[in-house]
Amino acid sequence: MHRIAVDIGGTFTDCVLVDEETGAVTLHKQLTTPDDPSEAVIEGVQALLAAGTVGIEDISALVHGTTLVTNALIERKGSLTGMLVTAGMRDILDIGRERRYDLFDLRLAYPQAVVPRSLRREIPERISFNRTVTQPLDAEAVVAAARDLREQGIEAIAICFLNSFADDAHEQQAARLVRQALPELLVSVSSEVFPYIREYERWTTATMNAYVQPLVDRYISHIDDRLKAIGFGGRFYIMTSGGGMVTPATARRFPIRLLESGPAAGALMSAYHGRVGGIDNLLSFDMGGTTAKGALVRDGRPLRKYELEVARVHEFKAGSGLPAKAPVIDMIEIGAGGGSIAGIDERGVITVGPSSAGAKPGPACYGRGGTEPTLTDANLVLGYYDADSFLGGRMGLDVEAARRSIATRIAEPLGLEVIRSAWGIHEAVNERVASAFRIHASERAFDYRASSMVAFGGSGPTQAVRIAAKLNVPRVVLPPGAGVMSALGLLRSPFSFELARSQRIGVAALDDAAYGEAFGGMERNVREVLADAGLTGKAVSITRRLDMRYQGQGYELEVPAGESPDGLAAAFLDVYRAVFSPIEIDEPVEIVNWKIEAVGPEPMAGQPFRYDRDFSPGAALKGERLAYFPEDGPVLVPVLDRYRLRIGSVVDGPAIIEERESTLVLGFGDRATIDRHLNLVVDVCGVSQQ
Amino acid sequence: MSVIDPVSLGIIWDRLISITDETLSSLVRTSFSTNVRESYDLSCMLFDSKMRSIAQGTYSVPSFTGTAPNTVRLMLEKHPPHTLRDGDVLATNDPWIGTGHLYDINVLRPIFHRGRIVAYSLSITHLPDIGGLGFSATARQIYEEGLRLPVVKLVEQGRPNPLLFELIGLNVRVPEQTLGDFHANIACNEVAARLLVEFLDEYGLSGIDDVADAIVANSERALRAAISAMPDGSYEHAIEVEGGESSLKLAIRLDVIGDRIHADFTGTSPALNMGINVPIGYSKAFVVYAVKCVTTPAIPNNIGCVTPITVSAPENCILNALPPYPTGGRHVIGHFVNPLTMGALAQIVPDRVQAESGMMSLVNIQGRHRDGRGVSSIYFSSGGFGALKGTDGLPTMPSPSNMTGTPVEVWEDITGMTVRRKALLTDSGGAGAFRGGLGQEIELVNDTGNELTISCLAGRTQFAAQGLAGGKPGTLRACLINGAPVHPKGRYFLRPGDVLTLFEPGGGGFGAPERRDPARLAEDIREGFVSLDAARRDYGYGG
Repeated sequence: MHRIAVDIGGTFTDCVLVDEETGAVTLHKQLTTPDDPSEAVIEGVQALLAAGTVGIEDISALVHGTTLVTNALIERKGSLTGMLVTAGMRDILDIGRERRYDLFDLRLAYPQAVVPRSLRREIPERISFNRTVTQPLDAEAVVAAARDLREQGIEAIAICFLNSFADDAHEQQAARLVRQALPELLVSVSSEVFPYIREYERWTTATMNAYVQPLVDRYISHIDDRLKAIGFGGRFYIMTSGGGMVTPATARRFPIRLLESGPAAGALMSAYHGRVGGIDNLLSFDMGGTTAKGALVRDGRPLRKYELEVARVHEFKAGSGLPAKAPVIDMIEIGAGGGSIAGIDERGVITVGPSSAGAKPGPACYGRGGTEPTLTDANLVLGYYDADSFLGGRMGLDVEAARRSIATRIAEPLGLEVIRSAWGIHEAVNERVASAFRIHASERAFDYRASSMVAFGGSGPTQAVRIAAKLNVPRVVLPPGAGVMSALGLLRSPFSFELARSQRIGVAALDDAAYGEAFGGMERNVREVLADAGLTGKAVSITRRLDMRYQGQGYELEVPAGESPDGLAAAFLDVYRAVFSPIEIDEPVEIVNWKIEAVGPEPMAGQPFRYDRDFSPGAALKGERLAYFPEDGPVLVPVLDRYRLRIGSVVDGPAIIEERESTLVLGFGDRATIDRHLNLVVDVCGVSQQ
Repeated sequence: MSVIDPVSLGIIWDRLISITDETLSSLVRTSFSTNVRESYDLSCMLFDSKMRSIAQGTYSVPSFTGTAPNTVRLMLEKHPPHTLRDGDVLATNDPWIGTGHLYDINVLRPIFHRGRIVAYSLSITHLPDIGGLGFSATARQIYEEGLRLPVVKLVEQGRPNPLLFELIGLNVRVPEQTLGDFHANIACNEVAARLLVEFLDEYGLSGIDDVADAIVANSERALRAAISAMPDGSYEHAIEVEGGESSLKLAIRLDVIGDRIHADFTGTSPALNMGINVPIGYSKAFVVYAVKCVTTPAIPNNIGCVTPITVSAPENCILNALPPYPTGGRHVIGHFVNPLTMGALAQIVPDRVQAESGMMSLVNIQGRHRDGRGVSSIYFSSGGFGALKGTDGLPTMPSPSNMTGTPVEVWEDITGMTVRRKALLTDSGGAGAFRGGLGQEIELVNDTGNELTISCLAGRTQFAAQGLAGGKPGTLRACLINGAPVHPKGRYFLRPGDVLTLFEPGGGGFGAPERRDPARLAEDIREGFVSLDAARRDYGYGG
């Protein structure tokens, strides 16, 4: 049988067909159809089928990644949504965190809550932090408020009560009442969506979940219908931000978990390459047109986090968006990509991004009216890109326009040469990415110096080797299919579902029974979700993790946990020492959050992808061109065709290796080898293997 | 690296800032007090070997970054660099060396590289307790306010001084939190040292002084250019603020002289026997801050953003109080230096200046949790932000400091109190073409079963946040216990079941209300930010 993955991105919908027996893949890129994204999905599937000898009846599963939820939140295309909230707390969504994200900029901007104040209703009820009911739920008020909101036209409703992370009885009771009275309403319950302490974040998440629920519901039905109409009889799965697949039923309940599912799949694919290559720790680096994304992979698994900021309204500034609590692959996002605009800031230094020239007008060299210099313009001026073979030759570039834009905006004001300015743009991006990786890694006690990097995306391979050198990362792996890595990752992602819950309890007071009870209920819940996909018993593996801290601290460290609580305090201390300080503190240790994940088997385990049909070994040398390296200025370097390089062949830098969607730049002393999986493996100059 | 071109400078500059960001994040993550971890009452900074501040963590409190350069100089006068060893950590909470009151601990670590000091990392946090009366404005002399630590060697070559820890532990109400925060400060500066050394090794540098020259010069040049663009002249402004029994006057004369600014506080009321006096370092910090906001907000903070600005004041006026005047609640008056300075700047660059903000209030709460734990925490809450030309004031936004409100669920858990209500106040924002931000109402119930001691530290109960360019003032602040108003700087006992209510003030509006965009006014009415009555009265709304 065969499987298909479809990843909808901002510009392209990437489609991959894989033969489960042989691993042979067929790749296809389709322009995204923003008005009805399912259009491109169906067309993409049909194009894949037309390219081979496979019929729709041979497809056992279709895995889907989508930016639908992210876009709906950014563009405010969700449904009219209501909120039931604990009496006295209606305005928490507007009051927010009461913190300025920028100290000196007085013109701060925060996004509006997705539920307007006029559609929030206060409900008399209260359960205290220690799970005592101090005011019973007013059932009549719940029903009356829901009916009233329904008359205002809401399609979905979020139920958000204080302290529900500790005790969800009132939220559940209210949800039952609303569902009975108004079965047509979609209901999101804050303690189900994500039972974490801190009402603003939890309620924001629950209201966003509700806000996109009708949209996702309709989208899934629509795509399901269309697939059936072309004869698809296999199963349809959707990728989550946490890096696991879920069934449509789960996606409909927790649509907020679909945020950033495409990039998550890219990081998963990096993790896969790490596992295959026997690399324990690696950096996953993806750079496209507007942003770069990085993730850390430890022991073959991308690191996680539980909060993501969406819909930032002030130049991508952290703090200017809405917080969503969900298990997500812990990714750094840097507002720098090929289309990012370079300029000079108030300090008189070169900065790149976060504003982007996008696809229109695009970089100056696209010749579509752009006059601002971008990273792509700099890379063209530096000789890294070729004006005639960019994007496989589908798009000619205007070197003069690129040079002019850099001269006008950067070189002349700073009194620098154009080529040095172009280098400054290129290098500023490298340093920003390296810096972001560095902060991210050391906050998580991740030793990047001993790791490798997997690089992909349209712009990733151009920058990767230089960034790796800055991080003392000795090896960079560039897998084939760099332009469709996320879609490939969808095919490698297992079924999984994770739950996390805040429940504070001292380690000293914890016995086996209490520990078992805390995890037991959660385990039943995650197993139920996987059972829905037909996975039960030994097919499901369970991982437990705990967020722990010294009693009184406000932030936690994640500690791996087993089936019993033995040795937890010591495990916490190990992590604490590694991340913060060797000084031991004489304070009791407590557990704050409990996390459990159920994971199904890895699809196609042990079966590598095969890309043979794209590759035909032969004379790889395409020609030579002048490229700039800061150590030696412009030098004549060989340009090679990746698709013609043989397994085992070696390329020494300086050299440029081109493929359809990206270009690898090797500097002096860098050496690339083609491994047996057709990966380009670069040993970075001057960084010793550890 | 004697000549640094813009390519290298930008890269290294950003790297140094990212080191302070990471220092700050490890401080927050290891702290034991809500002041730090929820409210961000803290600062992290990096200095070069010449004691110049070069970079600060993004979420640092502006006042701390303004006082810090002086702090480092004075700390190193006591323990000169040649007497320091790798792994030493210095600390002090002296108000005239540090940030103006005893509750802030300043922790300084020299960073060694190849055997010599190349930099210093400084962290500052507001301690949960430092003994004495507890954080309040009611002391008559500083001796009542708590333990005053001279510049001490808290850690010697990696070994914490046990005597100091015992001494501090014995003098405070919540030793585990206070000592825990000392440790958090120690740990974060250690992180800073490690990161800086890594950075130097990576670039093959022997120090950051050359880079610092360029950073400081660029920043100073930008600020001087912005000041030069302002017309020379003297701009006077005065505001009334609440003191103890009667009101106080704060006065400023801002002299723009070519590319520098001098501020003088002559005409300001004298210091009081009450813990709201301000050491001049703290007053200066808010002049510097206000100037930076309207001139060069995007330049990362460093000593170059301070040098072009000088400040003077008569001795023992309330903005230049000397020992032994108590200073516990110095921010209650000191924060007003920001609107005071903005008022003078409004005469020069009205389009860039913010109408007055409601500002924050702070209630220090001490006692015992229902479960027996000691409680000593600060409840921060914010009024509305002032409007600017083109921008409505945001609701409930701290100003000029950036103390973050504590989430209801976190507060209830750590104190055992109940937050019964936390709601925006309709009509609290000053009317204007651009409306002032809304304040809020908060009801806190003492459900601990024990008596709690509370100290209120706030202003704006008599003098509202003024509007600008025809904008109207916001509403006033009020503190009530069981419905009866209490002094906003008083110390009280909350019996079990007592209710503390805070009305947080609205921000001032900008521009005449009748010029407000009708669509925005209609939305205000629909969402309940402005009532129909107020719309008719203040905006001339005809609907």
